[in-house]
Formats: sequence, structure tokens, C-alpha cells
Amino acid sequence: MAEHYSSFSSEDTRWLLQRVTAVFLVGVLAFHFMLLHFVHHAAEITLAGTTARMQQPGYFVTMVLFLIAATFHGVNGVYNALVNQGISGTPRTVIKYGLTIASVLLIAQGIRVAWVMTGGNLI
Amino acid sequence: MSQSYDRGHIESFGRWTEFSAGMWAWVLHKFTGWVLIGYLFTHIAVLSTAIQGETMYNGTLQGLESLLIVRFMEVGLLAVAVFHILNGLRLLFVDLGLGLDAQDKSFYASLVVTGAIAIGSIPTFLGGF
Amino acid sequence: MSTNVPDTDTENHADTDTENHADTDAQPAPQQRRLAKKRERREHAPQSETNGDTDQQTVELKVFRYDPEVEGKREPRFDDFHVPFTKGMTVLDALIYARDTFDSSLTFRHSCRQAICGSDALFINGAQRLGCQTQLSDLEWPVRIEPLPHQEVVKDLVVDMEHFYEQMDAVDPYFKDEDVPDGLEEQRQDRENREKIKMSTRCIWCGACMSSCNIAAGGNYLGPAAINKAYRFVMDEREDGDVTQERLETIEAEEGVWRCQTQFSCTDVCPKDIPLTEHIQELKREAVKNNLKFW
Repeated sequence: MAEHYSSFSSEDTRWLLQRVTAVFLVGVLAFHFMLLHFVHHAAEITLAGTTARMQQPGYFVTMVLFLIAATFHGVNGVYNALVNQGISGTPRTVIKYGLTIASVLLIAQGIRVAWVMTGGNLI
Repeated sequence: MSQSYDRGHIESFGRWTEFSAGMWAWVLHKFTGWVLIGYLFTHIAVLSTAIQGETMYNGTLQGLESLLIVRFMEVGLLAVAVFHILNGLRLLFVDLGLGLDAQDKSFYASLVVTGAIAIGSIPTFLGGF
Repeated sequence: MSTNVPDTDTENHADTDTENHADTDAQPAPQQRRLAKKRERREHAPQSETNGDTDQQTVELKVFRYDPEVEGKREPRFDDFHVPFTKGMTVLDALIYARDTFDSSLTFRHSCRQAICGSDALFINGAQRLGCQTQLSDLEWPVRIEPLPHQEVVKDLVVDMEHFYEQMDAVDPYFKDEDVPDGLEEQRQDRENREKIKMSTRCIWCGACMSSCNIAAGGNYLGPAAINKAYRFVMDEREDGDVTQERLETIEAEEGVWRCQTQFSCTDVCPKDIPLTEHIQELKREAVKNNLKFW
């Protein structure tokens, strides 16, 4: 019983996580847009400025969490949309794992980019 | 009774003229959601190629920003993000069971505010062009 | 009475009564006050007050026709009927008139004519409504009448409700606890709890909500009516905890509450004004709370 309920893929966990990430993203997405379009105009952004921002640990962590939350929220939303369209059986399994792999790759690549932006070297 | 008439899937979206506020909110939320997840993947991809060096990074960003079409697409992206945020807040309240009677009004409010913010931001986005 | 061409006077009477029946919870006193007011209005108001000369008005109905057993009707089409309008006439009255006067093969379900049996949910001018509850004077003319969308049409305005009934059965729509506490002869419910489930008990199984739902259209989503029925029993404190748990598991299943996209279509069309979306949302929260305990 308990295993069934704590399973990550269960519908209610995904439903709740979708809302929790939503609350986080509302703030961070607005912040991201304000900072990089209104405070700093996009055309004036340079690597030096980006590095300066990324070297602040708080900003770096926020951006990484932003990436993870956004990827989950977006990919889970896409999956839900496809399930609502009535996709089932093998295509659904394929889509599920396909989306999971895409998410992992996106997050990994995103963190790599963020790390390079701090001025760090790739090991 | 041996036969019956199946009007098919066209039913769902063929009746869009009869959609109510809640259905439009759903359609727009899905649409903006697709745009945003699409943008996230593109965003990371562009930054990944740009990150190889200082000249490359500054060149890529300034090159893109020098295109008028990109500036307008940014306004579109802002509109999409703002609507998704505002309607998302509306949906969070709906999930909490708050303000269900005002669900249609809050959708219209999201639309109006989105429009206002998008139009109001045009000078900022086109600034320095 | 329903099969005859209605004579104006009794028909008016029946229909003003219908309005009152929508509010069965009213106390006798206001009910009588309302009836008295109505009587007064009837006596004083001239017959032609609504739309000028009502006697000469005809309402045009555009009615969906289909019959797989008749050569000329295998291709769906719309037939026009011109029905003399009388004050207080409902869509169902007009359909009955059209059938009795013009075309006896015109087929539609109806029974009680007072929004209780749930037989005559139709797609009227682009929305799911009960024919007996919808005043022609509230609609734009000509009035377009179709069978409920998202269900297969058996004949004319009659749709196959089998899928809807299966969904209703899936949530065990009946009280399951047999135990009577402490030597009482009935299972008593306190007022607060009764108030809590009051709206959800008003469902008449007309299927309007299910027909309006974009999500229920495509797949096996349990649908608003069945979830509302589950809500009625989950929230009923008289049922045992185990039974409630079982019910929660049904609505938490993949095709249960999570499919709801809060489009509010069902709430908009429900002829009994049940806050369906609100009930579904409450069950989602209930399900999350229920499962968090297991972590």
C-alpha cells in the first residue's frame, strides 16, 4: 500500500509538484524577465556581466533551481497534455521515457552552461 | 438501434465559437505552455553554443538583438510568459477552491493585464535599436 | 397532457410552477408568498405584455434529424418547424407541439417536464440545457436544437447514454453503510454535513455536464457527474472510513479527478446549478491530503 502511495509517478504527486513548482516559477520567471530585459537590456548583456552574476552563489543556485523547476513543470505539462489527448499503451511509455531523458539532458546541459558562465572550467 | 451516428472528434474543437471563458483560458494556457517549454530548450541550446568564448557570447547575443524581428519576438515571449503567470495564478486559486465564482472575470483580467504589460514594454524592448 | 396541443392557460400555469420547483428547498412561507405574487401578476398583467402580440408569433425551430433505419434520413440534416409561440412556452413544449402537429416521427426523450427526471438534456443554441427548463423567450430565434454532443446519436435528438451510465456505476452511486448506530432506527446526519453535500445530491443524471466536457469527450475520464456523485458519498460522514477510502481510491485513479482541467464547462451548463468544478477540486485536495499521510 505505502509503496503505491509514495511512488513518484503517481498522479497526485505529479499534480502537487506541478503546483509547487508553479508557485516557485511565478516569482523566478518574473524576476528573470525583469532582470535581463528591464534592469539590464538584453542587447547590453556581455559575458563579463553574466559571469559576475553567476559567481554569486545565491544567484547561481536560484538559476539552477529555476532550470530544474521549469523543466519539470514544462515537461510534465507536455506529458499531461498528451495523456489528455488520449495517448496510451506503448506510445505513452515511449513518450514518458523520451521526455524523461530529454529533461535529464536539458538539466545536465543547463547546469554545465551555468557552470561555464561562472568562469569555471569543465573537468 | 443497430446503428448510431458518431459525430467524431471534430466535436471537441469544431465548436470553438461556443467556447466559454474557462475553455479559452485552458486553450491559451496550453498554447503558452508549449511556447515556453519550447523556448526553454531553445534558450539552453543557444547559450550552449554561445558559451565557447567571450567574443562568441557577446557576438551571438548582440547579433540576435540587432534583428528587429527578434525584438518583436521578445515582446511576444513576454506576453506569453505574463499570460501564463497570471492565468497560472488564477489556476492556483481555483485549485485552492478560492474565488471560483470569479473564474471568468479573472481570466478576462489576465488577458487585459497581459495586453497592457506587453504594449507597455514595447519601448523598453525596442530601446537602443 | 403532454401529448396534446397545449391550451394556453394550463400551459402557462404548468410552466410558472416549473420555475418554483427548481427551488424545492424553499420554506413554505416564501413559497406561498411567491405563488401569491404570481397569481396577482397573472390577474393584472395583460396577456401581450412580453413580446407584443403573442398570439401571432411563431418560433422557428431548427431540429437535428437522423435515423439509420429510414432511407432519407441516414444523412443527418436539420428540419425547420414553425411553432405558434405562447407565453411561457419551453423548448420541450415547442418540440412536443412540432411532433404532435407536424411530424410524429420526431424523436426525443422527455418525461416529467419539470427538471427532475433528467431525460431531456439537449444541445440548444450551442449549450447543453434541459428542454423543459429553457424558456423560448430567453433564447435567440431561430432556435437550433441538437442531440447532446460527444455521444452517439441513436435517432434524432436521442443519444446513447450507455457510457454515461457506466461512468456513474463506476463510483457505486449508492449509500454503502448498513450499520445503524446505538439502537437508532436510521442513520442520522447532522445539519452541517447535510448542508455540505446538499448541492451534490441534486444531480438528476441528465448528462449535460459530461457532454460539455472536452476531456470526457476524448477518453475514459470519469466525468463531472460521476465525480460529483463520489463527492456526495465521500463527504457524507455517515459512511464508514474504509468505504470512504475505497471511494477515494476510485476517483484518484488515473482517469479520475486528475483529468479535470478546470474549464468550468460542466459548472456552466449544469441545470441544477451544482458547483461541479468546486467539488472536483475539493476531491483533488482531499486525495493529496489522504496520500500525504502515507509518506
